[in-house]
Amino acid sequence: MKKDILTVFGLVLILTVLFSGTHIQSVDEYYLTHIDDIRPESETVTLSIRCDTILENYDELDPALRSDEYVPSDGVILPPTEYVLREGDTVFDILDRAVRYNKIQMEFQGSEESPFGSVYIEGIHYLYEFSCGPLSGWMYRVDGEFPNYGCSRYELHDGQVIEWVYTCDLGSDVGAGWNEYSGGQRK
Amino acid sequence: MKAFGNIHPSVLMMYFLSVMLVSMFASNPIIQAEALFGGALFCLCIQKRGTALRDAGFYISLFLMVAVTNPLFSHNGKTPLFFLNGNPVTLEALLCGVSIAVMVIGVLLWCKCYSEIMTSDKFLYLFGRIIPKLSLVLSMALRFIPAYIRQSRRVSRAQKAMGLYSGKSISDRVRNRMRVLTAMISWSLENAMDVSASMKARGYGQKKRTDFSIFRFQRSDCALFAVCIVLLSVPLVGMAAGVTDFTYYPGISRIETSPAAVAVYAAFGALSVLPSVLEAKEAIIWKYYVSKI
Repeated sequence: MKKDILTVFGLVLILTVLFSGTHIQSVDEYYLTHIDDIRPESETVTLSIRCDTILENYDELDPALRSDEYVPSDGVILPPTEYVLREGDTVFDILDRAVRYNKIQMEFQGSEESPFGSVYIEGIHYLYEFSCGPLSGWMYRVDGEFPNYGCSRYELHDGQVIEWVYTCDLGSDVGAGWNEYSGGQRK
Repeated sequence: MKAFGNIHPSVLMMYFLSVMLVSMFASNPIIQAEALFGGALFCLCIQKRGTALRDAGFYISLFLMVAVTNPLFSHNGKTPLFFLNGNPVTLEALLCGVSIAVMVIGVLLWCKCYSEIMTSDKFLYLFGRIIPKLSLVLSMALRFIPAYIRQSRRVSRAQKAMGLYSGKSISDRVRNRMRVLTAMISWSLENAMDVSASMKARGYGQKKRTDFSIFRFQRSDCALFAVCIVLLSVPLVGMAAGVTDFTYYPGISRIETSPAAVAVYAAFGALSVLPSVLEAKEAIIWKYYVSKI
């Protein structure tokens, strides 16, 4: 009997360790994100989310997603909007706040699970990596340049412009330079 | 009572493969439910009553595990239920998990029926000539789990008799299992060697040697084969044409009810209850004859 109590105790310990790392929110709680009001002295960044490239590669798109509901006809999921920058905000923090505020679906892989040591955005607005061909997925651009590292490691400054764009060709169709470079070498 | 077991092995093989493959690759919930229903019904027909209840516990816990795991890892879907570490847990992912669980358990039940009906002599009769080594390995692998359970009970009984970890407490039982497991690993390795050596000593797999078999392709087998082919071709054509396509993400699609889709459901439903119907027919004939005595 004594041994059994020990076993049960051990099991409870394992379960608490497993559950202490999880954070559960109800739907209302999740969408009830506070967006700071823009005041003259506040620092801001601009964020937009677009998926124009899908419109050009519509035949490669997953048939279940072929609808105006999932792929807007103008390719704009979130028009350029200004958001207040908080101390130490990364690209991921702004995106997370914006999608919650606008009730846009998003799935990400946390930085501790990802091999890159950064958050990886798997899908936004039901459009996932590989939804539109084997080379498709989400990329981000800050002030017109593609930083070649994860979005939760990019710290933002006042006035920067962030664009999340969907690529169907590993970035070369949205103008990611590092990919064009390797393409040039092949020629 | 194994009316289905007396059918020619080639027809049986074709039947089991077709049911399992269709249920594995169909994403349509109706086809999956039919496969599960047919498999469970046939399992009940050919098994002893006592084992069915014990198995049900295992299958229900497996069902819950698979169904709950999917929404924890897949967050796609239009209807969030709650949010886990910032990612949505959605209704669509949960239902997709349920459908995967139904499929897995349906296929497991069919595998169980397969191992009950397709004994290793039948399997070796079919493939012993064409692929001797592979078929021996396969037939050994397929009977591995039942043989393993039988042997592990034997080892566990022996250990109990020796008085090792024979207490009722959980930790004692776990340690008993561990000891049995170590014994079983060496047993299974040795057993595999023994079986292959003894098969070789008996001249298995040699070209000139003939085998004894009691299987003959009769007219009833031929009829059943034709029925199976017809019933299989309808879902195959239907699935290839995409009439029964079903998607869970981002929104759950409507269950197709066009005449073509209904034909597919009906054909596959008939295919999956076919063995149970044959068993039932045989049982009724048997009861009838017994009542006349």
